[in-house]
Amino acid sequence: MLGVPTEYFLVLSGILFTIGVIGVLIKRNPIVIFMCIELMLNAVNLTFIALGRHFVHVNGQMYVIFVMAVAAAEVAIGLGIIVALFRSKETINIDEVNLMKY
Amino acid sequence: MPGSPTIWDDLTLILPLIVLWITSFVLLLGDVVVWKKNRDLNPILAIVGTLIALGIAVYQTISLTGDKAFARSLNMDALAQVSMIALLVTGLLAILLAWTYLKNRGLERGEYYPLMLLSVSGAALMGAANDLIVLFIGLEILSFALYVMAGFSRSDIRSEEASIKYFLLGAFASAFLLYGIALVYGATQTTQLSELASRVHSAQTPMLVAGIGLLIVGLGFKAAVIPFHQWTPDVYEGAPTSVTAYMAGAAKIAAFVAMLRVFDSLAPVSSVWLGAIQALAVLTMVFGNLLAIAQTNVKRMLAYSSIAHAGYLMVAIATLAHRLDGPRGAQAGELAMTGSLFYLFAYTFMTLGAFGVLIYLSNRGKDYQQIEDLRGLVRHDPRTAYAMLFFMLSLGGIPPTMGFMGKWQIFYAALSGGEIMLAIVMALTSVMAAFYYLKIVYVMCFEEPREAAPAPAQFSFGASLSVLLSAAATILFGIMPGLLYTLTGLVR
Repeated sequence: MLGVPTEYFLVLSGILFTIGVIGVLIKRNPIVIFMCIELMLNAVNLTFIALGRHFVHVNGQMYVIFVMAVAAAEVAIGLGIIVALFRSKETINIDEVNLMKY
Repeated sequence: MPGSPTIWDDLTLILPLIVLWITSFVLLLGDVVVWKKNRDLNPILAIVGTLIALGIAVYQTISLTGDKAFARSLNMDALAQVSMIALLVTGLLAILLAWTYLKNRGLERGEYYPLMLLSVSGAALMGAANDLIVLFIGLEILSFALYVMAGFSRSDIRSEEASIKYFLLGAFASAFLLYGIALVYGATQTTQLSELASRVHSAQTPMLVAGIGLLIVGLGFKAAVIPFHQWTPDVYEGAPTSVTAYMAGAAKIAAFVAMLRVFDSLAPVSSVWLGAIQALAVLTMVFGNLLAIAQTNVKRMLAYSSIAHAGYLMVAIATLAHRLDGPRGAQAGELAMTGSLFYLFAYTFMTLGAFGVLIYLSNRGKDYQQIEDLRGLVRHDPRTAYAMLFFMLSLGGIPPTMGFMGKWQIFYAALSGGEIMLAIVMALTSVMAAFYYLKIVYVMCFEEPREAAPAPAQFSFGASLSVLLSAAATILFGIMPGLLYTLTGLVR
């Protein structure tokens, strides 16, 4: 097959996914955490597209549409929850949203 | 083309789900446009819709019309049908529990029941998935509704905190699940579970191993398996009790039926994942029970208890790995499958029952959450105390309750499958579990109430009926498990 070999895409998406995971673990603002989760989902999308191209399957590319729809719904719900939290707490810093422990 | 299934055949197979979808949209629109003030109509209509769906599901199960549907992306076999029945029963009990509870707290907003019905449909899709992508979408439909429901009490900061924690960790875990699906697709060129079973053996690459590992993380999170359990106690404690009760039952059923399906088709490469599942099972059983002992809040204790129960169910998943090791293994795998379905039924009845008792008591006005609050309950509300007693005995796995029968079946399956070590850990941790369940019984029955008897609980038809049904099921299926075997035995 001509063009960039599939491995390159898989490695790139692996790196993007890892960046997303690290971001989720070290960031303290839920909106940024949420962006990192979106990064993880898009890394997976890249994997699906690359694999779909590699296998010459249309499936791989169809899955991306599903994932995008799911991610869009997730954004709506996530931002809704964050707004609701901000209304009652006046902060969205994760470290300050910690009434319940152990 | 004669003989080939049409779209109508496919739609008939998911008729219970369609009924749920129609009901939830009627409820959503009706609450805004038609009956703006009459809030009692919401639960009544939700119950009617669920009962119709349940009737259709039972009919389809008995007539065994199940088949692959929608281009083989759904597998409406007995496992899907029976898990759908379990989920609809959970939904029904949860609607009854929510009725007065929401009214007393001014939370009677119209979207509660539609959200719950939609999440039931998502959970049922998960149980029926024959394609990993459908499984993912079912999981997201279930989860999205649960994220919102966990934060349903908008004025209560704990509820909001539960919601945001559940949402962030849940979305994080589903990204792992999705990456796992992508890697399994990369290794085997398919996402269909029935195809996967025939292809995995010749595709044992590092990619497949990584994919399976990520699938375990994603599903383990939903099932609340240690070490992916951190969200569980906080969400169980913070969410309104009626939501906790529903979530405990439905999410557990959906996650484990999906796991049964996935690991059933991954059985040819069981050497890849068996070790991980065994380790998770042991960790979950030991630490779930240990952490539960230290709790002073009943909801939190039940959260850790739900983690411990997830550990017992993981034993069944591990047993499934031996499905292809000769006739003995096949029999053990079959037992694990039917046993875990029985266990899921038992779990949903006893957990919804236990939360139902808390909800029933909370109708007095103050929230009953602490173990202290239950002190001397038998003096001023003996019937409720006896109901709680049965649920605690059942959760602890003491005969002749349903919890014992479920645990026994998984224990027996593990023994006959050769998972001796897991069976021993299971037995030992069950003894440990009896400690904290019996502590509640002791506090209720043998300690003096701290204060004078509070005002009697305001009678709530829904909560009483739900607790009564759960208690009846716990005892009836404990004494005569054969009644339920006819249903769970269909799954082979």
